[in-house]
Amino acid sequence: MRAAFLIAAKDLRQRFRDRSALVLGFVAPLVIATLMSFAFKGTDSFHTTLDIVDLDRGQLSAAFVGTLHSPQIADLVTVRQVGSVSAARTDVDKGTAGAAVVVPAGFTQAARGGPAVPVTVLASVDHTVDAQLADSLAQAFTAQLNADRLSVVTALAAGARQDRVTELGVAAGRLSLPEQVTQADSSARALTAIGYYGPAMGIFFMFFAIGFGARGFFTERREGTLDRISAAPVPPWAVLAGKSLATFVFGLASLTTMAVVTTVAFHAYWGPPAAAAVLIVAMSLVLVALTALVTSLARTDRQADGLASIVTFGLVLLGGNFVVLATAPQIMRTLALGTPNGWALRGFTDLSTGASAFQATAQPAAAILAFTAVTALVALLLARQAVRR
Amino acid sequence: MTTSTSLPGPPGRSAEAVLTCSHLTRRFGDRVAVDDVSLQVYPGETYGLLGPNGAGKTTTIRMVCGLLRRDVGSVVVAGREVDGGSGDARALIGYVPQDIALYPDLTARENLRFFGRLYRLRGRELDARVDEVLDLIDLRERADDRVESFSGGMRRRLNIGAGLVHRPTLLVLDEPTVGVDPQSRHAILDAVRGFGEAGIAVLYTTHYMEVAERLCDRVGIIDRGRIVAEGTRRELVDLVRERDRVELSVSGDLASFAVACRALPGVEDASVADGQVDVLTRDARRLLPALLEAAESSGTVLKSVQVVEPDLEAVFLHLTGTALRE
Repeated sequence: MRAAFLIAAKDLRQRFRDRSALVLGFVAPLVIATLMSFAFKGTDSFHTTLDIVDLDRGQLSAAFVGTLHSPQIADLVTVRQVGSVSAARTDVDKGTAGAAVVVPAGFTQAARGGPAVPVTVLASVDHTVDAQLADSLAQAFTAQLNADRLSVVTALAAGARQDRVTELGVAAGRLSLPEQVTQADSSARALTAIGYYGPAMGIFFMFFAIGFGARGFFTERREGTLDRISAAPVPPWAVLAGKSLATFVFGLASLTTMAVVTTVAFHAYWGPPAAAAVLIVAMSLVLVALTALVTSLARTDRQADGLASIVTFGLVLLGGNFVVLATAPQIMRTLALGTPNGWALRGFTDLSTGASAFQATAQPAAAILAFTAVTALVALLLARQAVRR
Repeated sequence: MTTSTSLPGPPGRSAEAVLTCSHLTRRFGDRVAVDDVSLQVYPGETYGLLGPNGAGKTTTIRMVCGLLRRDVGSVVVAGREVDGGSGDARALIGYVPQDIALYPDLTARENLRFFGRLYRLRGRELDARVDEVLDLIDLRERADDRVESFSGGMRRRLNIGAGLVHRPTLLVLDEPTVGVDPQSRHAILDAVRGFGEAGIAVLYTTHYMEVAERLCDRVGIIDRGRIVAEGTRRELVDLVRERDRVELSVSGDLASFAVACRALPGVEDASVADGQVDVLTRDARRLLPALLEAAESSGTVLKSVQVVEPDLEAVFLHLTGTALRE
């Protein structure tokens, strides 16, 4: 075992002197996760400014403006009244407003039986979500209004006196639509972009260690240092064990660094440390098995590079490292469960949204370890003669 | 067609052999790379395995070092079998491969420490031994520089040093002077000669006849996987009945001088050609005083004398029917 530790220490010393390995193992995942976090930051804390143009200046348009100023949506929307449609259009085009709602003249009168006039939403292709929000708010108000109108008409048809129309209208207005959908998160925390892309990018770049490990083996064989080690009184398995240990430690250090830095610097939540550590260790083990598989399949360092790239990109594309799996099609979510990184991301996602540590880690860790065992077995069968012919 | 020729053990060797290879055989498919090779190397002896590229030298030493499985035969170093077991003799062997087998991104000291620790050196003993080797290979001042910054000659020296760090009983060098400039080659050969003088048994493979002649106490000539002859240079030359030639440039009566030469004991032939007398003998150096006397007594004036001894190239050609460099 001592020889294995020696070989591992030597490999790690070389790995940490290799700038490209350091960049791929530590710097790149942090940078990419940060960039992706910024890119998707809007989905964590959306807020927009809506312009409202009140050409009606009636009772209902005032009610609509009042609705937009309600405390329930104050975190989501800042409403700004502007005097003309052209001013609102300019704001939307410049991007100073996410969208604008134009309440036409005659809107209040239309509710009282006048000719219908449509509420218009001015949108920009650069702010589609803002436009959807403005549209939804206008739709919600007009839906409520139509419901009120229907209530009054129904009451009149049922025999209510005509002089009670105003009274009926006020009573209907106090009611909200009877069937409304409200969204309640089942988890205690919301999934943040950094909470997903931190582990996702960490795992993605950790997989680059497969290429480093496999290439290192073939470089040692080509340069003769592997022979030199084998000529020493060390058991044949010590070479494989040492190299595997180095890969394990490198993967562990890479993903742990990612977890610590994103937690400290970006307030990402990876879950309880012990539970996150279980998944990190499991992923470091699968890294070793994948490196062994690539090493056993390849015959040269170039082949090892190519195979490592195929394995890395195949796994991260299937496993969902580039897209939030929760928003991905069902087929992709199913395919992700055939990959260790897919399981790990599922575990990390559950942990970061507050699931219990055992629930979040037990199944993913078992799946990752099963994948590791099968991969390692195949690698060993293929490479029994790899070190000594 | 070649035949294997065995000579008696090395004269003056009473000690036990450090390395004993018995009937080593290795096949790669239908091709027999090493065919029933047996050899012994004694303490302080430098044994050269001489043969052209592809003769089986590297395959033989890879089996000696335990890097290649043997189909048949055994390798014993200082009474211990090279078998990968717990009493493995590999701890006694220092292996210096033909290529530079070092880590370029580690320093010279780190390389030596790594290989030393593989051979179970540690602590002060390791530190002291690494410093000793750095002195020996004249790299003390560059000890903490990365190998990638070294010249070719420095890397060669460190390559040998890495095989010495654990004080091996047997040093195995696989063509360590291939592609080396003359100055570095001289330095390496001097160092190897020093290892022999220090009591280390050295197994040295080469296809350079001059190196084998200059360096090795005994030479095994290997061709097509078989050792076809073995012995000191003198023994090998005698074996194939090659003769020394003395070229005497004289002024005067060349014909009568040639007759006088033929009459001397030990002279097998003397002939006149191109204004000189060529004498064939089994031991030119011993004959020289008599030749000088013969020149004087025959009234000729000796202008120059050149002794041409047969080399291993001629021996190889005689034994195998092919030139060593083919």
